Amino acid sequence: MRIAGYALGGGLILLGLAGLALNAGQADPLSWALWFGGGVVAHDFVLVPVTLALGVPLRRVPRPYRVGLVVAAMITLVSLPVVLGFGRRADNPSQLPLDYGRNLAAVLLGVAVAAVAADAWTRLRRRRHGRAAPPSS
Amino acid sequence: MVRKPALIERITSDRPPEPIARIRFTSALRSEGMAARLGVALGIAFTVAFATGLFSHFLQHPPSWLDWPSRPTWLYRVTQGVHVIGGIAAIPLLLAKLWTVYPKLWQWPPLRSAAHAAERGLVLLLVAGAMFQLVTGLLNIAYTYPWSFFFPVAHYWTAFIVYGALVVHVTNEWAKVRRSLPEPLEGGRRGFLLTVGAASGLAVLLTAGETVTPLRRLALLAPRAPGVGPQGLPVNRTAQAAGVVAPGPDYRLEIGALSLSYEDLRRLPQHTVELPIACVEGWSASARWTGVRLGDLARSAGASPDAVLRVESLEPHGGYRTSELRPPHWTDPLTLLALRLDGQTLHIDHGYPVRLIAPNRPGAQQTKWIHRIVIT
Repeated sequence: MRIAGYALGGGLILLGLAGLALNAGQADPLSWALWFGGGVVAHDFVLVPVTLALGVPLRRVPRPYRVGLVVAAMITLVSLPVVLGFGRRADNPSQLPLDYGRNLAAVLLGVAVAAVAADAWTRLRRRRHGRAAPPSS
Repeated sequence: MVRKPALIERITSDRPPEPIARIRFTSALRSEGMAARLGVALGIAFTVAFATGLFSHFLQHPPSWLDWPSRPTWLYRVTQGVHVIGGIAAIPLLLAKLWTVYPKLWQWPPLRSAAHAAERGLVLLLVAGAMFQLVTGLLNIAYTYPWSFFFPVAHYWTAFIVYGALVVHVTNEWAKVRRSLPEPLEGGRRGFLLTVGAASGLAVLLTAGETVTPLRRLALLAPRAPGVGPQGLPVNRTAQAAGVVAPGPDYRLEIGALSLSYEDLRRLPQHTVELPIACVEGWSASARWTGVRLGDLARSAGASPDAVLRVESLEPHGGYRTSELRPPHWTDPLTLLALRLDGQTLHIDHGYPVRLIAPNRPGAQQTKWIHRIVIT
């Protein structure tokens, strides 16, 4: 079974590499390699260390806000291409037609409101059940 | 749950002081069960993306021995929507998964044996490739191309590398997944998984409306709004971008030996169909098209039932200047040479004077500004 997995996987990898090599005119190996390697380098040596560093002071923040921050950060990251809007074209207003900066702000506000509401809800429930709030985190 | 006071913690005392080994990752959220669950979700997401991506590729570059059907009309709309929206959903999953296994990046010694080196090399291929596919895909649907490769070619071939590395990775990790999946996640970890799921779900909700009509009002962050564009329909390539100017009264459509003016086309029996434009970038929008049935016209121009039609645009150059119609598509009664859109004469950006509209076909092949149809 393992041999079959390695053979299939290895075959697919070789097929992909061969396809890129045979289409080098369109696949532009230099630019491809830059993006192939650049993504993982940016992730492993910039994005994650920055996230870890930001996580340290947030350890004492109540959980609903930490959840909200994780969701907000991920939505911001996913929406960056439309918010930056480099793909806009003067001749084609139907391409990236919305005010994405405003929309992202509205979404983040919604996430913040949800976090505040969730935090208030947990505090209220704790009080109603007559328990002292445990230390956050 | 007790947390260690610092993220990068004390030096491990029982090991020789290698500098990298001093880093300790203390979050209790990381666990084999977490990695397994996120891994399974990503495995499914990448399998679906690979399958729908291959489908899209073969529709756009069909081998000569394979005709694909013209029905169901919505098939490509669904598969490509799943490909793009599923890709967006995978981004939070991938980030969470890589965060979960991040300490392994700093394992010491980095390479224990030749087999370990091979395993790590393949994981690097998998991570780099997954990142490449999601980042380039996300930028491509936002019409942003900060690279000098041709996206479809690079994205297509890289998919094989990623999926191959994924098969090897699953082969290596399968035993661990089977061991840890039945174990329940404890409170904090379940919360983290739910958070990641919420981020992924929210990203879907805020973009899927560019193709899933009932969600259109929620599509605040989608690159397209289905009702926005000339005549209420989005456009991918404008006449200006394609270098096309509206033809004058001397316009003729040539099909086989026939040559028809715009007025001739308008006098032929008109049919109205409801069909979507479904784009490779994942958006789609339905519209009501009116025009001449291509099958009727091709048959009266002498096309045999197994003929292949090549539709040619007034576009002077570009990869999408022509498209090919095999029998299942040109004989389908829904396939029109459209003259009108929602009752109005076609806007030039939608292909005035004549465009092709056919069921279950990528938008790039719904050729606009048609002036010739070659029957072979």
